[in-house]
Amino acid sequence: MEETQNPVYKDKSYGQYRELSYSYEEGGKFETTVGFHGEADRLILQQAWDLFNERITEAKNKVLVGKASPVVYYMEKNLLDPMNLSMMAGISVWRVKLHFKPSFFRRLSAATMKKYADAFNITVDQLKNIE
Amino acid sequence: MVKLDFPHRQAGHCESGVTRNLLNYHGLPISEPVAFGIGAGLFFSYLPFLKMQHAPTTSFRVWPGQVFDRTTKVLGVTSRIHTFRDPKESMSKLNEVLEQGYPVGLQVGTFHLPFFPPEYRMHYNMHNMVVYGYEGDNYFISDTVMENLVEINNEDLMRVRFAKGAFAPQGRMYYPVDVPKNVDIRPAIVRGIRKTANNMVGIPFPLVGAKGIRYLAGRMRKWEKNLGPEKASYYLGQVLRMEEEVGTAGAGFRFIYGAFLEEASQILNQPWLKELSVEMGENANRWREFSYLGSRNCKKRGKPDQSYDFLADILLEVAGREEKIFKALAKIK
Repeated sequence: MEETQNPVYKDKSYGQYRELSYSYEEGGKFETTVGFHGEADRLILQQAWDLFNERITEAKNKVLVGKASPVVYYMEKNLLDPMNLSMMAGISVWRVKLHFKPSFFRRLSAATMKKYADAFNITVDQLKNIE
Repeated sequence: MVKLDFPHRQAGHCESGVTRNLLNYHGLPISEPVAFGIGAGLFFSYLPFLKMQHAPTTSFRVWPGQVFDRTTKVLGVTSRIHTFRDPKESMSKLNEVLEQGYPVGLQVGTFHLPFFPPEYRMHYNMHNMVVYGYEGDNYFISDTVMENLVEINNEDLMRVRFAKGAFAPQGRMYYPVDVPKNVDIRPAIVRGIRKTANNMVGIPFPLVGAKGIRYLAGRMRKWEKNLGPEKASYYLGQVLRMEEEVGTAGAGFRFIYGAFLEEASQILNQPWLKELSVEMGENANRWREFSYLGSRNCKKRGKPDQSYDFLADILLEVAGREEKIFKALAKIK
Protein backbone atom coordinates (compact mmCIF):
# COMPACT_ATOMS: atom_id res chain seq x y z
CA MET A 1 0.00 0.00 0.00
CA GLU A 2 2.99 2.36 0.15
CA GLU A 3 2.66 4.84 -2.66
CA THR A 4 5.21 7.46 -3.39
CA GLN A 5 3.07 10.00 -5.22
CA ASN A 6 0.37 11.86 -3.37
CA PRO A 7 -3.24 10.77 -3.89
CA VAL A 8 -5.55 13.09 -5.81
CA TYR A 9 -8.52 14.39 -3.86
CA LYS A 10 -11.51 16.32 -5.16
CA ASP A 11 -10.19 19.25 -3.14
CA LYS A 12 -6.71 19.89 -4.49
CA SER A 13 -5.33 21.24 -1.22
CA TYR A 14 -5.72 17.80 0.38
CA GLY A 15 -3.08 15.10 0.49
CA GLN A 16 -0.09 17.45 0.18
CA TYR A 17 1.79 16.42 3.30
CA ARG A 18 4.23 13.60 3.88
CA GLU A 19 3.72 11.56 7.02
CA LEU A 20 5.62 8.95 8.94
CA SER A 21 4.20 5.46 9.13
CA TYR A 22 5.28 2.07 10.41
CA SER A 23 5.20 -1.19 8.49
CA TYR A 24 6.22 -4.80 8.89
CA GLU A 25 7.69 -7.15 6.31
CA GLU A 26 6.78 -10.82 6.81
CA GLY A 27 9.56 -12.46 8.85
CA GLY A 28 11.56 -9.26 8.78
CA LYS A 29 11.77 -6.08 10.75
CA PHE A 30 9.55 -3.18 11.65
CA GLU A 31 10.36 -0.14 9.61
CA THR A 32 9.37 3.49 9.42
CA THR A 33 8.82 5.29 6.14
CA VAL A 34 7.98 8.88 5.34
CA GLY A 35 5.64 9.34 2.43
CA PHE A 36 2.27 10.50 1.16
CA HIS A 37 -0.62 8.43 2.33
CA GLY A 38 -2.04 5.79 0.04
CA GLU A 39 -5.17 5.21 -2.00
CA ALA A 40 -6.99 3.38 0.83
CA ASP A 41 -6.47 6.40 3.11
CA ARG A 42 -7.80 8.70 0.43
CA LEU A 43 -10.95 6.63 -0.04
CA ILE A 44 -11.96 6.67 3.62
CA LEU A 45 -11.07 10.34 4.16
CA GLN A 46 -12.92 11.32 1.00
CA GLN A 47 -15.94 9.40 2.24
CA ALA A 48 -16.09 11.53 5.39
CA TRP A 49 -15.70 14.80 3.48
CA ASP A 50 -18.34 13.69 0.96
CA LEU A 51 -20.80 13.18 3.79
CA PHE A 52 -19.92 16.51 5.41
CA ASN A 53 -20.32 18.40 2.14
CA GLU A 54 -23.58 16.63 1.38
CA ARG A 55 -24.95 17.58 4.81
CA ILE A 56 -23.86 21.20 4.36
CA THR A 57 -25.59 21.51 0.98
CA GLU A 58 -28.70 19.82 2.30
CA ALA A 59 -28.83 22.13 5.32
CA LYS A 60 -28.34 25.18 3.14
CA ASN A 61 -31.23 24.21 0.88
CA LYS A 62 -33.45 23.65 3.89
CA VAL A 63 -32.59 27.07 5.28
CA LEU A 64 -33.24 28.76 1.94
CA VAL A 65 -36.75 27.29 1.67
CA GLY A 66 -37.44 28.17 5.31
CA LYS A 67 -37.56 24.64 6.72
CA ALA A 68 -34.60 25.08 9.06
CA SER A 69 -32.85 27.92 10.84
CA PRO A 70 -29.35 29.17 9.98
CA VAL A 71 -28.11 27.46 13.16
CA VAL A 72 -28.46 24.13 11.32
CA TYR A 73 -26.45 25.38 8.36
CA TYR A 74 -23.61 26.76 10.47
CA MET A 75 -23.60 23.68 12.66
CA GLU A 76 -23.04 21.47 9.61
CA LYS A 77 -20.53 23.90 8.15
CA ASN A 78 -18.46 23.66 11.33
CA LEU A 79 -18.74 19.84 11.28
CA LEU A 80 -20.59 19.83 14.61
CA ASP A 81 -23.45 17.84 16.04
CA PRO A 82 -26.07 19.18 18.49
CA MET A 83 -24.13 17.93 21.52
CA ASN A 84 -20.85 19.56 20.55
CA LEU A 85 -22.62 22.75 19.53
CA SER A 86 -24.34 22.82 22.89
CA MET A 87 -20.98 22.57 24.65
CA MET A 88 -19.46 25.28 22.50
CA ALA A 89 -22.28 27.78 22.78
CA GLY A 90 -23.16 26.99 26.37
CA ILE A 91 -26.83 26.29 25.53
CA SER A 92 -28.53 23.06 26.51
CA VAL A 93 -29.06 20.41 23.84
CA TRP A 94 -32.86 20.53 23.83
CA ARG A 95 -32.81 24.32 23.42
CA VAL A 96 -30.28 24.01 20.60
CA LYS A 97 -32.61 21.56 18.88
CA LEU A 98 -35.53 23.96 19.41
CA HIS A 99 -33.51 26.71 17.71
CA PHE A 100 -33.26 24.53 14.60
CA LYS A 101 -36.83 25.63 13.85
CA PRO A 102 -37.05 29.03 12.12
CA SER A 103 -40.03 30.11 14.26
CA PHE A 104 -38.00 29.72 17.46
CA PHE A 105 -34.84 31.10 15.93
CA ARG A 106 -36.62 34.36 14.96
CA ARG A 107 -37.61 34.99 18.58
CA LEU A 108 -34.09 34.56 20.01
CA SER A 109 -32.70 37.30 22.24
CA ALA A 110 -29.65 39.26 21.15
CA ALA A 111 -27.60 37.57 23.87
CA THR A 112 -28.37 34.05 22.65
CA MET A 113 -27.69 35.10 19.05
CA LYS A 114 -24.32 36.37 20.23
CA LYS A 115 -23.57 33.02 21.88
CA TYR A 116 -24.19 31.18 18.62
CA ALA A 117 -22.25 33.74 16.59
CA ASP A 118 -19.26 33.38 18.93
CA ALA A 119 -19.41 29.59 18.78
CA PHE A 120 -19.35 29.73 14.96
CA ASN A 121 -16.74 32.51 14.97
CA ILE A 122 -18.95 34.85 12.83
CA THR A 123 -20.93 38.08 13.36
CA VAL A 124 -24.61 38.14 14.34
CA ASP A 125 -25.46 39.59 10.90
CA GLN A 126 -23.80 36.65 9.18
CA LEU A 127 -25.74 34.32 11.45
CA LYS A 128 -29.07 35.88 10.49
CA ASN A 129 -28.38 35.99 6.74
CA ILE A 130 -26.50 33.03 5.32
CA GLU A 131 -24.60 33.74 2.14
CA MET B 1 12.14 36.18 22.77
CA VAL B 2 13.03 32.57 23.51
CA LYS B 3 14.07 29.91 21.03
CA LEU B 4 15.27 26.66 22.54
CA ASP B 5 17.43 24.27 20.58
CA PHE B 6 14.74 21.60 20.23
CA PRO B 7 15.44 18.63 17.95
CA HIS B 8 12.34 18.07 15.79
CA ARG B 9 11.55 14.53 14.70
CA GLN B 10 8.48 13.28 12.91
CA ALA B 11 6.53 10.50 14.61
CA GLY B 12 3.70 8.10 13.89
CA HIS B 13 1.67 8.92 16.97
CA CYS B 14 1.46 12.47 18.26
CA GLU B 15 1.53 11.85 21.99
CA SER B 16 4.29 9.22 22.10
CA GLY B 17 6.25 11.33 19.64
CA VAL B 18 5.92 14.38 21.89
CA THR B 19 6.87 12.29 24.94
CA ARG B 20 9.92 10.92 23.15
CA ASN B 21 11.03 14.33 21.87
CA LEU B 22 10.65 15.95 25.29
CA LEU B 23 12.50 13.16 27.12
CA ASN B 24 15.25 13.08 24.48
CA TYR B 25 15.68 16.82 24.90
CA HIS B 26 16.32 16.24 28.61
CA GLY B 27 18.86 13.54 27.83
CA LEU B 28 16.87 10.31 28.14
CA PRO B 29 17.39 8.40 24.88
CA ILE B 30 14.22 6.35 24.32
CA SER B 31 12.49 5.65 21.01
CA GLU B 32 8.87 6.34 20.06
CA PRO B 33 7.73 2.68 20.32
CA VAL B 34 9.30 2.39 23.79
CA ALA B 35 7.58 5.59 24.97
CA PHE B 36 4.31 4.19 23.61
CA GLY B 37 4.86 0.79 25.23
CA ILE B 38 5.86 2.09 28.67
CA GLY B 39 2.89 4.44 28.55
CA ALA B 40 0.66 1.38 27.83
CA GLY B 41 -0.92 3.22 24.91
CA LEU B 42 -2.43 0.23 23.09
CA PHE B 43 -6.08 -0.50 23.63
CA PHE B 44 -9.33 -1.23 21.87
CA SER B 45 -12.79 0.02 22.67
CA TYR B 46 -16.01 0.26 20.70
CA LEU B 47 -18.57 2.66 22.16
CA PRO B 48 -21.78 2.59 20.08
CA PHE B 49 -23.61 5.00 22.43
CA LEU B 50 -20.98 7.71 21.94
CA LYS B 51 -21.31 9.22 18.46
CA MET B 52 -18.43 11.01 16.82
CA GLN B 53 -18.90 12.61 13.41
CA HIS B 54 -22.25 10.88 13.03
CA ALA B 55 -20.98 7.35 13.74
CA PRO B 56 -20.07 5.24 16.80
CA THR B 57 -16.70 5.84 18.42
CA THR B 58 -14.03 3.20 17.95
CA SER B 59 -10.77 3.75 19.74
CA PHE B 60 -7.48 1.92 19.40
CA ARG B 61 -5.74 3.73 22.24
CA VAL B 62 -6.06 4.68 25.87
CA TRP B 63 -7.44 7.95 27.20
CA PRO B 64 -5.54 11.00 25.87
CA GLY B 65 -2.77 12.21 28.14
CA GLN B 66 -2.13 8.80 29.67
CA VAL B 67 0.90 7.93 27.57
CA PHE B 68 2.82 10.98 28.79
CA ASP B 69 1.56 10.69 32.36
CA ARG B 70 2.38 7.01 32.72
CA THR B 71 5.73 7.12 30.94
CA THR B 72 7.07 9.98 33.02
CA LYS B 73 5.68 8.59 36.26
CA VAL B 74 7.04 5.07 35.77
CA LEU B 75 10.46 6.37 34.73
CA GLY B 76 10.67 8.59 37.81
CA VAL B 77 10.63 11.82 35.78
CA THR B 78 9.29 14.87 37.61
CA SER B 79 6.84 16.67 35.36
CA ARG B 80 4.32 19.46 35.76
CA ILE B 81 0.82 19.44 34.29
CA HIS B 82 -1.48 22.46 34.25
CA THR B 83 -4.98 23.15 32.99
CA PHE B 84 -6.57 26.59 32.96
CA ARG B 85 -9.85 28.44 32.94
CA ASP B 86 -8.54 31.75 31.75
CA PRO B 87 -6.88 31.74 28.29
CA LYS B 88 -4.78 34.85 29.08
CA GLU B 89 -3.40 33.26 32.23
CA SER B 90 -2.52 30.10 30.30
CA MET B 91 -0.53 32.10 27.75
CA SER B 92 1.44 34.03 30.37
CA LYS B 93 2.22 30.76 32.17
CA LEU B 94 3.40 29.29 28.87
CA ASN B 95 5.74 32.26 28.29
CA GLU B 96 7.04 32.00 31.82
CA VAL B 97 7.89 28.29 31.50
CA LEU B 98 9.55 28.83 28.11
CA GLU B 99 11.69 31.60 29.62
CA GLN B 100 12.83 29.17 32.29
CA GLY B 101 14.14 27.01 29.43
CA TYR B 102 11.67 24.13 29.28
CA PRO B 103 10.00 23.06 26.03
CA VAL B 104 6.28 22.54 26.70
CA GLY B 105 3.83 19.92 25.43
CA LEU B 106 0.32 21.16 24.65
CA GLN B 107 -2.98 19.40 24.09
CA VAL B 108 -4.90 21.16 21.33
CA GLY B 109 -7.96 20.84 19.07
CA THR B 110 -7.21 20.33 15.38
CA PHE B 111 -10.19 22.07 13.78
CA HIS B 112 -8.67 25.58 13.86
CA LEU B 113 -5.03 24.54 13.66
CA PRO B 114 -3.79 26.63 10.69
CA PHE B 115 -0.74 24.59 9.65
CA PHE B 116 -2.43 21.18 9.91
CA PRO B 117 -3.10 19.14 6.72
CA PRO B 118 -6.60 20.29 5.65
CA GLU B 119 -7.93 16.76 5.12
CA TYR B 120 -7.51 16.13 8.86
CA ARG B 121 -9.13 19.35 10.08
CA MET B 122 -12.06 17.77 11.88
CA HIS B 123 -13.00 18.22 15.53
CA TYR B 124 -10.36 16.24 17.29
CA ASN B 125 -9.34 17.67 20.65
CA MET B 126 -6.65 15.17 21.57
CA HIS B 127 -3.78 16.33 19.40
CA ASN B 128 -0.40 17.00 21.01
CA MET B 129 2.48 19.25 20.00
CA VAL B 130 5.50 20.97 21.53
CA VAL B 131 6.15 24.71 21.86
CA TYR B 132 9.86 25.46 22.02
CA GLY B 133 9.95 29.24 21.88
CA TYR B 134 8.28 32.50 20.99
CA GLU B 135 9.06 35.86 19.50
CA GLY B 136 6.49 38.60 20.08
CA ASP B 137 3.17 37.14 18.95
CA ASN B 138 4.68 34.18 17.13
CA TYR B 139 5.15 30.78 18.74
CA PHE B 140 7.54 28.14 17.44
CA ILE B 141 5.98 24.70 17.22
CA SER B 142 7.34 21.21 16.73
CA ASP B 143 4.39 19.08 15.61
CA THR B 144 5.20 15.40 15.10
CA VAL B 145 2.66 15.06 12.25
CA MET B 146 4.53 17.70 10.23
CA GLU B 147 7.77 17.10 8.41
CA ASN B 148 9.17 20.52 9.30
CA LEU B 149 8.97 23.02 12.13
CA VAL B 150 6.01 25.39 12.03
CA GLU B 151 4.85 28.64 13.61
CA ILE B 152 1.54 29.85 14.95
CA ASN B 153 0.37 33.25 16.19
CA ASN B 154 -0.90 34.06 19.66
CA GLU B 155 -4.60 34.29 18.76
CA ASP B 156 -4.71 30.97 16.88
CA LEU B 157 -2.77 29.20 19.61
CA MET B 158 -5.19 30.48 22.24
CA ARG B 159 -8.13 29.23 20.18
CA VAL B 160 -6.78 25.72 19.65
CA ARG B 161 -5.74 25.40 23.29
CA PHE B 162 -9.25 26.28 24.37
CA ALA B 163 -11.14 24.33 21.72
CA LYS B 164 -14.48 23.26 23.14
CA GLY B 165 -16.55 20.11 22.73
CA ALA B 166 -15.79 16.50 23.69
CA PHE B 167 -12.40 16.02 25.43
CA ALA B 168 -11.84 19.80 25.60
CA PRO B 169 -8.12 20.45 26.27
CA GLN B 170 -8.72 23.40 28.64
CA GLY B 171 -5.28 24.76 27.82
CA ARG B 172 -3.58 21.59 29.12
CA MET B 173 0.20 21.99 29.16
CA TYR B 174 2.81 19.56 30.44
CA TYR B 175 6.58 19.50 30.67
CA PRO B 176 9.25 17.41 32.38
CA VAL B 177 11.40 19.45 34.76
CA ASP B 178 13.73 16.86 36.22
CA VAL B 179 14.85 13.75 34.33
CA PRO B 180 17.05 11.36 36.34
CA LYS B 181 20.39 10.35 34.87
CA ASN B 182 21.10 6.69 34.00
CA VAL B 183 17.55 5.54 34.62
CA ASP B 184 16.93 1.79 34.28
CA ILE B 185 14.06 1.42 31.82
CA ARG B 186 13.71 -2.37 32.20
CA PRO B 187 11.21 -2.45 35.11
CA ALA B 188 9.27 0.31 33.38
CA ILE B 189 8.95 -1.81 30.22
CA VAL B 190 7.73 -4.81 32.22
CA ARG B 191 5.13 -2.67 33.98
CA GLY B 192 3.99 -1.18 30.69
CA ILE B 193 3.54 -4.59 29.06
CA ARG B 194 1.66 -5.94 32.09
CA LYS B 195 -0.68 -2.95 32.11
CA THR B 196 -1.42 -3.28 28.38
CA ALA B 197 -2.01 -7.03 28.70
CA ASN B 198 -4.45 -6.39 31.51
CA ASN B 199 -6.25 -3.72 29.50
CA MET B 200 -6.59 -6.01 26.49
CA VAL B 201 -7.61 -9.32 28.11
CA GLY B 202 -8.16 -8.65 31.81
CA ILE B 203 -11.14 -6.29 31.91
CA PRO B 204 -14.46 -8.13 32.31
CA PHE B 205 -16.47 -5.74 30.13
CA PRO B 206 -17.68 -6.66 26.63
CA LEU B 207 -16.87 -3.42 24.81
CA VAL B 208 -13.15 -3.18 25.48
CA GLY B 209 -10.02 -5.18 24.68
CA ALA B 210 -10.08 -8.34 22.57
CA LYS B 211 -13.74 -8.85 23.60
CA GLY B 212 -14.51 -5.44 22.15
CA ILE B 213 -13.15 -6.49 18.75
CA ARG B 214 -15.45 -9.54 18.81
CA TYR B 215 -18.38 -7.36 19.80
CA LEU B 216 -17.67 -5.01 16.91
CA ALA B 217 -17.51 -8.00 14.54
CA GLY B 218 -20.94 -9.12 15.72
CA ARG B 219 -22.45 -5.69 15.24
CA MET B 220 -20.83 -5.28 11.86
CA ARG B 221 -22.73 -8.27 10.46
CA LYS B 222 -26.02 -6.54 11.23
CA TRP B 223 -25.14 -3.06 9.99
CA GLU B 224 -26.33 -3.48 6.43
CA LYS B 225 -29.67 -4.94 7.45
CA ASN B 226 -30.32 -2.48 10.29
CA LEU B 227 -28.92 0.74 8.87
CA GLY B 228 -29.14 0.41 5.11
CA PRO B 229 -26.16 0.24 2.75
CA GLU B 230 -25.15 3.93 2.85
CA LYS B 231 -25.01 4.30 6.59
CA ALA B 232 -23.40 0.89 7.06
CA SER B 233 -20.64 1.90 4.68
CA TYR B 234 -20.15 5.16 6.58
CA TYR B 235 -19.97 3.33 9.92
CA LEU B 236 -17.33 1.03 8.49
CA GLY B 237 -15.45 4.06 7.17
CA GLN B 238 -15.47 5.52 10.66
CA VAL B 239 -13.82 2.41 12.11
CA LEU B 240 -11.16 2.61 9.40
CA ARG B 241 -10.58 6.32 9.96
CA MET B 242 -9.98 5.71 13.64
CA GLU B 243 -7.72 2.81 12.76
CA GLU B 244 -5.59 4.41 10.08
CA GLU B 245 -5.89 8.18 10.07
CA VAL B 246 -5.87 9.89 13.42
CA GLY B 247 -2.16 9.58 14.14
CA THR B 248 -2.05 5.83 14.72
CA ALA B 249 1.08 5.10 12.68
CA GLY B 250 -0.96 2.49 10.80
CA ALA B 251 -3.17 -0.49 11.73
CA GLY B 252 -4.43 1.09 14.93
CA PHE B 253 -1.05 1.24 16.74
CA ARG B 254 -0.39 -2.47 16.16
CA PHE B 255 2.75 -1.82 14.10
CA ILE B 256 4.18 0.53 16.66
CA TYR B 257 3.45 -1.96 19.44
CA GLY B 258 5.15 -4.74 17.52
CA ALA B 259 8.20 -2.51 17.11
CA PHE B 260 8.10 -1.94 20.86
CA LEU B 261 8.05 -5.69 21.59
CA GLU B 262 10.99 -6.19 19.23
CA GLU B 263 12.99 -3.51 21.05
CA ALA B 264 11.87 -4.78 24.46
CA SER B 265 13.16 -8.29 23.69
CA GLN B 266 16.64 -6.81 23.12
CA ILE B 267 16.58 -4.53 26.15
CA LEU B 268 15.22 -7.18 28.53
CA ASN B 269 17.20 -9.96 26.83
CA GLN B 270 14.09 -12.16 26.60
CA PRO B 271 13.99 -13.88 23.17
CA TRP B 272 10.36 -15.03 23.50
CA LEU B 273 9.25 -11.40 23.18
CA LYS B 274 10.83 -11.34 19.73
CA GLU B 275 8.57 -14.23 18.67
CA LEU B 276 5.56 -12.33 19.96
CA SER B 277 6.68 -9.22 18.06
CA VAL B 278 6.64 -11.30 14.87
CA GLU B 279 3.11 -12.42 15.68
CA MET B 280 2.17 -8.83 16.40
CA GLY B 281 3.58 -7.80 13.03
CA GLU B 282 1.52 -10.45 11.23
CA ASN B 283 -1.50 -9.39 13.23
CA ALA B 284 -0.90 -5.77 12.22
CA ASN B 285 -0.67 -6.78 8.58
CA ARG B 286 -4.01 -8.51 8.96
CA TRP B 287 -5.52 -5.27 10.32
CA ARG B 288 -3.98 -3.51 7.33
CA GLU B 289 -5.70 -5.97 5.02
CA PHE B 290 -8.96 -5.33 6.84
CA SER B 291 -8.68 -1.61 6.25
CA TYR B 292 -7.61 -2.12 2.65
CA LEU B 293 -10.62 -4.33 1.82
CA GLY B 294 -12.90 -2.11 3.87
CA SER B 295 -11.84 1.00 1.99
CA ARG B 296 -12.88 -0.69 -1.30
CA ASN B 297 -16.28 -1.14 0.32
CA CYS B 298 -16.42 2.58 1.12
CA LYS B 299 -15.56 3.49 -2.46
CA LYS B 300 -18.68 1.98 -3.97
CA ARG B 301 -21.20 3.56 -1.68
CA GLY B 302 -24.22 1.34 -1.23
CA LYS B 303 -22.71 -1.45 -3.30
CA PRO B 304 -20.20 -3.23 -1.10
CA ASP B 305 -18.09 -5.64 -3.08
CA GLN B 306 -16.51 -6.90 0.11
CA SER B 307 -19.27 -8.12 2.38
CA TYR B 308 -19.52 -7.19 6.05
CA ASP B 309 -19.53 -10.87 6.95
CA PHE B 310 -16.16 -11.31 5.31
CA LEU B 311 -14.72 -8.29 7.15
CA ALA B 312 -16.23 -9.44 10.45
CA ASP B 313 -14.46 -12.79 10.00
CA ILE B 314 -11.13 -10.96 9.73
CA LEU B 315 -11.99 -9.10 12.94
CA LEU B 316 -12.70 -12.37 14.73
CA GLU B 317 -9.38 -13.68 13.56
CA VAL B 318 -7.40 -10.67 14.84
CA ALA B 319 -9.35 -10.78 18.11
CA GLY B 320 -8.21 -14.38 18.58
CA ARG B 321 -4.61 -13.51 17.72
CA GLU B 322 -4.53 -10.56 20.10
CA GLU B 323 -6.08 -12.53 22.90
CA LYS B 324 -3.36 -15.15 22.49
CA ILE B 325 -0.56 -12.57 22.33
CA PHE B 326 -1.68 -10.61 25.37
CA LYS B 327 -2.41 -13.68 27.46
CA ALA B 328 1.20 -14.70 26.83
CA LEU B 329 2.44 -11.19 27.59
CA ALA B 330 0.55 -11.09 30.89
CA LYS B 331 2.99 -13.68 32.23
CA ILE B 332 6.02 -11.42 31.78
CA LYS B 333 8.46 -11.20 34.68
